[in-house]
Amino acid sequence: MKDLADHIFDILENSVTSEATEVKVILGLRNKRFSCRIKDNGRGIKNEDVTDPFVTSRKERKVGLGLSLLKKTAENTNGFLRISRLEGNGTFLEFETDISHIDAKPFGDLAKVFVDAMRSWPDVDFEVLIKKEKSQNEPVLNTKEIRDVMDCADIQHKEIQDFVYQSIDKELKKIGINTQFGEF
Amino acid sequence: MKNLEELRQIRYKVKKNLQMRSGKHKVRIVVCMATCGIAAGARQTMNTLSDLIGKSDRDDVVITTSGCAGFCEQEPMIQIYIEDKEPVAYGKVDSKAAEEIFKKHILNGRIVERYLFSKGK
Repeated sequence: MKDLADHIFDILENSVTSEATEVKVILGLRNKRFSCRIKDNGRGIKNEDVTDPFVTSRKERKVGLGLSLLKKTAENTNGFLRISRLEGNGTFLEFETDISHIDAKPFGDLAKVFVDAMRSWPDVDFEVLIKKEKSQNEPVLNTKEIRDVMDCADIQHKEIQDFVYQSIDKELKKIGINTQFGEF
Repeated sequence: MKNLEELRQIRYKVKKNLQMRSGKHKVRIVVCMATCGIAAGARQTMNTLSDLIGKSDRDDVVITTSGCAGFCEQEPMIQIYIEDKEPVAYGKVDSKAAEEIFKKHILNGRIVERYLFSKGK
């Protein structure tokens, strides 16, 4: 995993694979700490340590590296990864990383992650917000709203894709996410 | 999103242009995007393909993703489904390979043996 964007796309893929239809992402950056919370309504994890590389639900191989790699990425920078099963169905995942740490991974292109997610899974509802300390979280993307205007699969068209990308990227850059190492 | 109205207009314009040409998807590119694919650079491959489609003026090509195909050592992998033809899978497709495959296979129908993984289902 080259950057945080890769990690986040990987978690979204986990959500979709577990048959989630709604995925909510809250991103934050405060005191050089980047936080990411992802909640889905998928099947949920079993009671086992999913960050163990030898625990996986896939059938092709006996190893599952996604979450163990993310755990390492977070913990290498005095951060953490927490995963819990939500009551009923669904999973809540939270990780934090110190982006000023010498071992920190760059953000990568986070706006692209959500554009790619829309293109890959046009039927899944994605909601992305930016965490605010004193006011309500700032909405960045809500595919439920977008569906009033277009089909999410329309994101295949370059012009539409660029427009959605720009509007997400602009919001993320406002708080310093999505510039390579964050702004200090 | 704040600018839904603007998005609506862009979509209207795009759809109008599409109606003049035939808007059916004839080519489907599937990029494997499980942890193994992502770690090997599949997101870069997908972005390259997406840019190439944008530049090529073809609107009958779509990109989607799939999970792990079980051949992690071959990642990034892509599969190409062209209407009325056997699907073709390629392995170790970095940006450079993606460009070659796009030009030769998707635009001109010639399979690129160098990156070929399998033919048929």
